[in-house]
Amino acid sequence: MLYEVKRLIKRFDDKVILDLIDLSIDSNKILCLLGPNGSGKTTLMEILAFISLPTDGEIWFKQNRVSFGKTDLVSIRQKVVIVQQEPILFTTSVFKNVEYPLKIRKINKNRRENIVNELLGLVGMSDFKEAEAHKLSGGETRRIAIAQALACSPEVILLDEPTSSVDIENQYIIERIIKDINRDKEISVIFTTHDMVQASRIADEIVFLYDGRVTDSIHENIFGGIIKSEEENKYCLLPQGIRLNIKTDKSGPARISINPSGTYFHRKEDDLYSNGNLFKGRLVQLTDQGKRIRALIDIGLPISVLMEYDKFNEIGPRVGDRVYLEIPEDSIEVI
Amino acid sequence: MSFLLDSIQSALLLIWTLDRELMEVISVSLKVSSSSTFIAMIVGIPLGLCISMNEFNGKRVLITCLNTLLAMPTVVVGLLVYSFISRKGLFGPLDLLYTQKAMIIGQFILIVPIITTYTISAISRIDDRYRKTALTLGADSIQTAWVIVREARFGIVSAIIISYGRVIAEVGISMMLGGNAKGFTRTMTTAMALEYDKGEFVLSIALGIVLLSISFAINILFNYFQGKSRI
Repeated sequence: MLYEVKRLIKRFDDKVILDLIDLSIDSNKILCLLGPNGSGKTTLMEILAFISLPTDGEIWFKQNRVSFGKTDLVSIRQKVVIVQQEPILFTTSVFKNVEYPLKIRKINKNRRENIVNELLGLVGMSDFKEAEAHKLSGGETRRIAIAQALACSPEVILLDEPTSSVDIENQYIIERIIKDINRDKEISVIFTTHDMVQASRIADEIVFLYDGRVTDSIHENIFGGIIKSEEENKYCLLPQGIRLNIKTDKSGPARISINPSGTYFHRKEDDLYSNGNLFKGRLVQLTDQGKRIRALIDIGLPISVLMEYDKFNEIGPRVGDRVYLEIPEDSIEVI
Repeated sequence: MSFLLDSIQSALLLIWTLDRELMEVISVSLKVSSSSTFIAMIVGIPLGLCISMNEFNGKRVLITCLNTLLAMPTVVVGLLVYSFISRKGLFGPLDLLYTQKAMIIGQFILIVPIITTYTISAISRIDDRYRKTALTLGADSIQTAWVIVREARFGIVSAIIISYGRVIAEVGISMMLGGNAKGFTRTMTTAMALEYDKGEFVLSIALGIVLLSISFAINILFNYFQGKSRI
């Protein structure tokens, strides 16, 4: 077992950010912490990287309880490294940035140079060796930060939202690097994302986080709105002016989640089954998710829909098609 | 007008011929100011680093006190140090009064708050991700502190330059603690004051030109580092 987390609490002021009763993480796997913004992913990652202290609870790393004493932390941090969501590089050259962890580990100059060259090759940044690090783009910075992390020869690498605000090209390069370092270098990888598709594409295991707690499944299509009443009926008004009829006892500001498996779309209005919330939209993305297809439909808000292959083949939709989306009231949960 | 022009001409001649008295005064000034700035740098930078990187009770009060000390008049520092090192003072037996050491102590007290507060200010502007990056890459606390100082280097160098400009141009401490003894504690500013009293303007003007040139060089350096810090 790589990590064992027991009764972990993290508070900022009086607010509980993390409340994990029990979490175990295996070695040599790619594990994804999946959850929406504000679910405590970054806080948990920083605690797992030992650069932030928990308020209460225990963490065991490779069967040893971490005491969080300063001396212990320096030695344990040499085995675990985190690449932050928005990594920052030192204001010097790319080469010196990647060389830094090797220098503090007192590795000789020739070996340092060989390792840096190899790592820059691995992340596809060999041509940027002498470039000034702070002038790189977001995707390039992230690739250098990964090379810098790998220079530590870690046993675990933690990547916090490794592809957020990165273009598609860099996104696929980073995903390829994650798989390569796990397979070829046998490094355990833990990464966070709020993208279900990406999680299922890369991870061996997924842990769902919501509101600082581990949950059995992840809420998707989360939106904030105001629940109002109209005669006997309740509806949720989203800021974009979209009105969703819902079944709930609550009222006022709320966050709702739309179940992608209970939501349907069709190319013709007549082909829909029931009379739920009906919207016109455009199909903007289709993704193969193994046994099912995930479609992203833009109705003013992007709504993710999961459908079986048979149903998909029956409809035969293409990206760009105008479609009708039905969101049954039963598929909407107030969270 | 011709008197002023003649004086400037003679002053330039003094500089050109590297007049012995002029060089002696410049050398004492540079030696005392450089020493006090160097010692203040060794104390002020780590002090600023400790204050900015740690949370403790009374931190705000301490920073407010340091900010207040920035405006401390040189004569107040002179008076304070004098009270300690004069014959009747606590450190009287050390015979420090009217020595270069006394001037260095006074100037050190004058600029330590400057270097400390500017270091605090430079470090507080540094992104906390630098600290986290250094820690996760395996740096210990001293190596992490060094990373932060390196990232704040332009702000810190500016603090050192400002402090050097302050001590080389000050007159109160040098006069009160140095005594303006020729060849020992006579600095550019005290020599200028003396020559003015005597009605001898040539050496005063020569020293003024040198002092202005040094200030000019300091400002060029300051602007250079200010520009760098904005990258």
